[in-house]
Parts: sequence; structure tokens; C-alpha cells
Amino acid sequence: MLDVQSLRKVFGGLVAVDTISFDVPENSILGLIGVNGSGKTTIMNCINGIYDATEGVINFRGTNLVGKKPYEIARLGIGRTFQVPRLFRRLTLTENLMVPVLEDSRSNVELTEKANALLAEVDLYRIRDNHAEELSGGQQKLVELLRVMMLDPDLILLDEPFAGVHPNLCKVFLEQILKLKDAGKSFILVSHDLTSVYSLSEHLLVLNQGQKIAEGNAADIQHNPDVIEAFLGR
Amino acid sequence: MSSNRLVWTRTSIWLGFLALSALGLGLLPAYGFSLAFWFYLLLWITLASGLNIMAGFTGYLPFGYVAFYGIGAYAAAVTVKMHGLPIWAGFIAAALAGVVLSLMFARTMVLRGIYFSIVSLALAVICRLLIAAMPEDVAGGSYGISLGFSNPDGAYYAMLALMLATLLTVTWLAQSRLGMALRAIRDDPDTAETVGINIGTVRLKAWVLSAVIASMTGAIEAWYTSIVDTETAFNLLVSTKAVIFAVAGGLGTVIGPVVGTVVMLIVDDLIWQHFPVLNVFLLGLVIVLLMMFLPSGIVGSLIRRKPFLRRILF
Amino acid sequence: MMTTLLIQALVTGLILGALYGLIGCSLTIIYGTMRIVNFSHGEFVVAGCFAVLMFFTATGLHPLLSIPLVFVAFFLVGMCLYYLFVPRLNRGDDPEVASFLTFYGVSLMAGAILLYFFQADTRSLNYVFTPSVYKIGHVFIPTAHIVALATGVAIIAALTWFLYRTIYGKALRAAIMNRDAIQIVGVNINTLSALAFGLAIAIAASTGVLLALVFPAFGPFSGMDYTLVGFVVIVLGGLGHPIGAIIGGIVFGIAEQVAIVFLPQSLSQAVGFIILIAAITLRPSGLFGKVALR
Ligand SMILES: Nc1ncnc2c1ncn2[C@@H]1O[C@H](COP(=O)(O)OP(=O)(O)OP(=O)(O)O)[C@@H](O)[C@H]1O
Ligand SMILES: [Mg+2]
Repeated sequence: MLDVQSLRKVFGGLVAVDTISFDVPENSILGLIGVNGSGKTTIMNCINGIYDATEGVINFRGTNLVGKKPYEIARLGIGRTFQVPRLFRRLTLTENLMVPVLEDSRSNVELTEKANALLAEVDLYRIRDNHAEELSGGQQKLVELLRVMMLDPDLILLDEPFAGVHPNLCKVFLEQILKLKDAGKSFILVSHDLTSVYSLSEHLLVLNQGQKIAEGNAADIQHNPDVIEAFLGR
Repeated sequence: MSSNRLVWTRTSIWLGFLALSALGLGLLPAYGFSLAFWFYLLLWITLASGLNIMAGFTGYLPFGYVAFYGIGAYAAAVTVKMHGLPIWAGFIAAALAGVVLSLMFARTMVLRGIYFSIVSLALAVICRLLIAAMPEDVAGGSYGISLGFSNPDGAYYAMLALMLATLLTVTWLAQSRLGMALRAIRDDPDTAETVGINIGTVRLKAWVLSAVIASMTGAIEAWYTSIVDTETAFNLLVSTKAVIFAVAGGLGTVIGPVVGTVVMLIVDDLIWQHFPVLNVFLLGLVIVLLMMFLPSGIVGSLIRRKPFLRRILF
Repeated sequence: MMTTLLIQALVTGLILGALYGLIGCSLTIIYGTMRIVNFSHGEFVVAGCFAVLMFFTATGLHPLLSIPLVFVAFFLVGMCLYYLFVPRLNRGDDPEVASFLTFYGVSLMAGAILLYFFQADTRSLNYVFTPSVYKIGHVFIPTAHIVALATGVAIIAALTWFLYRTIYGKALRAAIMNRDAIQIVGVNINTLSALAFGLAIAIAASTGVLLALVFPAFGPFSGMDYTLVGFVVIVLGGLGHPIGAIIGGIVFGIAEQVAIVFLPQSLSQAVGFIILIAAITLRPSGLFGKVALR
């Protein structure tokens, strides 16, 4: 569904993403791993329009995303979470979930009910009227995922969903991801938690200094000497 | 749905209060009250609430808000005096001028924070200087324009109507989807855009709305005083006062600007009556104390400290 | 004839611009280190004008000799202002707006105090340099302007040295760039900010001393105008960039003076602001800045 060809992103003199191609088939999870600064977040930012790609084509179901505004891309059906959660701090949790669907034709009552149902699933319904800034970091990540779910996108970009999240919450997170996967969604998953990436994604991409150094399934990657070198040093 | 009921209750209380006040205020001229205080009370409530749409809901603080007020005053005066049209045509011209000017300035919204504020202020200064430099038969030059007739009662009712319209708009905005989008932009514009909000058009709506409120206010004030000149119509104090009144009550709340204006005007009046020599000094002191001890404004701080008040204040 | 006028305008613009630059520079030190919008900055410039007037009438000494005194006195005033207001403001929700209003209040108070002590009429410093003007080619330059420029440049040089060569200056610049990081590194941001505030107010008042030499007359009401010029200049130069502010000031000063030659008086005042808008449209982060658009 998503087809990235020769994507390049340069900041001043620094090549953050160096001519990378990959594709994400329907209903799949692509794992994106690499050491800090290898360009993972930058790839996501290019896909959802925060950055303009310097070169390359990003095709999503036949539309080229390069040059489109972030809101247009979101409306085409791509949602994302951020490495550092970014909620609307002075909006209540329910309101935070409503923001992506403000132009929806459904009624307010209907949408509020949907938002509250989502909050109930992850046990945040009691504090639905609290401002987002009153949440812990892990809870914020969770609400961010719920916000993506409100938009109901077909492709979801997750940037470090598990970092700094308590194992119990991680489990909730994993459940939600698997449920969405069963419902036919696709993901790009960035994480330093290799165990969960290996178990979740069918296909992995390993980045180093903006370049793709390996690609394949978990077993291939784990035994690839280039990857071992990049991750463990020589 | 408890929170929907809550919204419904406090909105009805507020609207009821508004209706009663409107009735009372509407009767004032008939009973021969001196209108000066009341006219300016309505005027400042309107301006503070109009500014609140940008500053409180959307997160852009336009120091140069007076530009719209001034252009409205001039548009009305030019239409009436130079082209001999009736005053209602002047109001239409003022509204149009507000729309046009706000569209011209729309691009400044790519700037954030203090950058935006200063640039907006610079634009207001430019407007004043350009209008003062125009030939006398176009915009009255540096002496301004005298309308040649005045109708304080008419202007008072027009101001009352505009204030009610503004407050109703803000009340609607506070619970509408547009308002929620604006508040999301205020908290984090980039994230708002990545979750699917077209921040350009959404904040443009707020901007134009806010501008038209100010330009209509300017036109009505011109009618009230029957005189317009660049020094008063583009006086930066108009912006600063509107900001102070809105902040004193609580930016981003519906009744904050109303409460803030009422309280600050009363304080101002008391200071003038009792300490004429020290008045400016004391006004400064009041502002400082207010910011030190109630930084979110009167209503804002109350809501923060006593969440149960959210049932009636918003 | 026209060229003489033009050169004259360039020279005056340069001198005024350097002084505007100093106002902006001190303003940006405050805004940069603590995100505080000091809307009362201009009042301290005006206070500097009156301070040198008092100094001169009381002692009869050369006005420039007042600068060290003014500097120290207003440094202390600035420190006091800092401890009175800023820590509290920084704890709030939106320090930028809150500080703008607080210091607007301070500006009203300071203006009222000036008005109370010095009345509304304009004053002037009756100090005459000998010779009172120099003639270079066809251009006349008042000695007062040359002295003001020289002193202004000296202050700028000292400030640049302070910011780029001393450990405190480096800490200050670091704080402008990243307030949070510097706390981790172990600099006491509170003391540093207080010093910065004192320094900025002291520079503003000293600039006032120089302006009193350049402008024949001053009154208690011009504070707001200087504040505005200061803000325009720093946005022009790029927020949080002290040297950029000085260059912004010079651009502003020259534009203003050259415009006076070519345009009717009322329009010439607009030119500085129009340049600001043009600059911002072309380079939203200011001439030298990096941050503006998030
Ligand atoms: N806005 C930017 N301006 C300049 N350089 C940038 C910018 N964003 C990212 N970079 C650079 O691009 C490179 C890749 O950054 P990116 O954030 O994509 O890394 P990452 O793989 O997500 O790392 P991490 O695991 O630490 O999150 C880094 O060297 C970073 O310094
Ligand atoms: Mg990253």
C-alpha cells in the first residue's frame, strides 16, 4: 500500500536519509530499526509530510505524498504517534481524541461515545475530563495511539511506542496493536526494543547513518553480520 | 451524558444572564442615564472578547489588533462623509475593510509567539502612517474626518447589538468543533496539522472573525464620537487595553473578558475619582499585582483552583 | 546637493542606528535568556536621559562621566526588578504573555514616576561641545553625535567582548540557546538571569545618556516609542541574537534617516516598519536568527 522509492532527506550538509526504498504491503507490520540518529524518525516525518523529502517518491495507494501537507496526508489515511508524545495539553482526554475527527459527518454525541469507549478500553475513562498535561508519559503515549485510532487510518506509523512505558502498559499497547492488525491495518514500527519488533513484524529494515544496511525477516536480520557490526560495533 | 448536561446547564444560565443584562442595558437611555461609561463598557467587552478569539482560543496575541479597529472607523467615516452614504453603508464598508485587511495580514500567522505579536504591531503602525499620509479629500489627512452628525443613542444600541452578537459567537465557538480545532492549534499547531486539521483555513476563520468584530467596533465608535483621526483610531492603547482586559478575566474562557473588562473599568474609575494624581501609577500597579497573583486571570484562576466552578464558569 | 543630504542621512542613521541597536541588544538579552518580554524597556532608556540631566545640573561635570554611575545604579535596579517579578512569572503557564503585561504595568508605573518628578514638558541637556560641529567634506556632523557614536561603539565592543570572551558571557549565550541544558551543566540560571537583567537595564539607561546628547529634547512620554523600536530591531536582527540586534538597529536607523530625505515626514516613519515586514516575509527568522517557525 505504501511504496517508498529512493527517498533522500538532507539537512544542510547532513544526509539523514540516504536513498532508501522499501514498501509496506497491505495488512503488514514493517519494523524499522537502527542506532540513534540513523534516520528512522526522519523517514516517518517525510512520509507524513512534516518534512519535504529532498528527493524520491512516496506512493500511498497511487498518490504521491511528496509535497502534500501533513493534514492532507492524515486524511488520506496515515496516522502516527511521536517519539516524545505530543498531545494537546490543555484539552481534555476526550477532546484530544476528538480533534482528528472534527470534520467527520457523524454527530458529536456519536463521536464522544466512540472516544470514551476507547478510553474505557485502556482504563482511562475515569479521568476523561482531565487535561492531557496531567497524564504520565506512558499514559500520554497510549492516548496518542487512541487518537490515531479515532482517525481510523489504514497505515499507522509508531515511533518508539514502548520506550519509557511500564511493562503492564506495554501489554495494553501490544494488545491494541494486534487488534488493529487483525482489523486489517498496516504499521511501520520503530523501536529499540528488538524483542517486540522481532515478534511483531514480518519484515524488517535496518538503517545505519541514513542507509539501508539490511532487510528481511527476523531470522535473517539476527544473523546478518553487517547488522551485528552496526549494532555492536567492531 | 453528564458532561453534555453540564455544558447545557451552564450555557443556559449564561444565556439567561445575557438576556437580562441586555434588557437592562437596553433600557438605560430611556431612563436618561449618562451613556458615556456604559457605551465604553460595551465597547471594551466587545474588543476584549474579539481579541480573545485569537489570543485565547487560537494562541496568537496580536499587539496590533487596533489596526482593524482603526480601519473600521476610517472605512465608515469615509463612506459616510466623503461619499455621502447612510451610516448602515458605513458599517458594511467597515466589515468589508476588516475582512480585506485581515486577509492581507493572514500570512503573518506563519510566525509564532512574540514574532507574530511584534509584526502585527508594526502593521498597525504602518496603517496609521499610510492613512495619515493620504490626501485630505480621500481620508481626511492628518486632521481626521468629522462626520458632521452624531447619534449617541443609536451608536449605543448598535454597540449593544454588536456586543451581544460577539458574546453569542464566542459562546458558540467555545463548544463548537471549530473552537476545539482552534484550541488544538493553540496547544500545538504542528501536531494539530499532522492529525488532520487544515490549520491554515481554521485559524484564518478565527482571524477574520476577530478582525471584523474590531472593525465594526471602530465604526460604531466613530458614529458615537462623530469624529475620526489617526492618532485615536490607531492608538496602540486600544490593543493593550483589550489585551489587559481579556487577560485580567482569563484568556480562552468565554466570560473571562467580560468579567475582566467590568472589573478593570471599575478599578480604573475608582482610581480616577480618588487618586487623580496617582492614577496611571496605580493602574500599572494593579496590572502588576494581577499578573503576579492571578496570572490566568480572575475567571481562569477560579476555574483552576476550584474545579467545581466549571459547572457555571467557562 | 542630494548626495550631501544622503551622506548626511547615512551618517546620522548610522549613529542613531547604533543606539537603537544597543536598545535592541539589551532587550534581546532579557528575552533570550528568560523569555521575558520587557515592555518597560523604553522607560529605562528615558530614565537614563533624565539621570544624565540630573547629574549634569547637580555637578556640572561632563555628561559622559555619568555613564559609570548610571550603569551601576541601573544595574542594581535591574537586579531588583528581576528578583521581584521574574522567578514568579516563570512559574506561570505562559510567561511570554504574563511578562508582557507585568512589564506593561511596570512601564506605566515608571512613566508615571518620571512624569511626577520631571513634569510633562520636554527637557534638554544644555551641554555644548567645542567645537560644536565638525565639517568633513560637505557633511556637517555635530560633535555630540561623534561622541555618542564613539561611546556607543565602545559599549558594543565591551559587550561583544563580554559575550564572546568571558565565561559569564558564554554562559549567557548558552542560556539564550538552551535554557534547560545549561541548568543541567550546573550553571545557576537564576543568578545568571538576574545578572543578565541587571546588565540589560544598565545598557538601556546608558543608551539613554547617549540619546540625551544626540536628541536636543526629551520628555517622559517617549518610553513606549523606544520599546517599540527595540522590538522591531530585534525581530529584524533575529530574536535571541545580540549582535544581530545591533545590525538590525543600524539597518533601521539608516532606513529611517534616508527615508526622511526622500519621503514626506509621515511616510518616512513607516519605512523602518515596512523594512521589518519585508525582511520577515523574505526571511521569517530575521536577518540572523534561526528560530521562528516551529
Ligand atoms: N530538523 C533537523 N535538522 C537538522 N538535522 C536533523 C533534523 N532532524 C533530524 N536531524 C538529523 O538527522 C539524523 C537522523 O535523525 P533521526 O531523528 O531520524 O534519527 P532516529 O533514527 O530517529 O534516532 P533515535 O533513535 O535517536 O530517535 C540525525 O543525525 C539528526 O541529527
Ligand atoms: Mg527517532
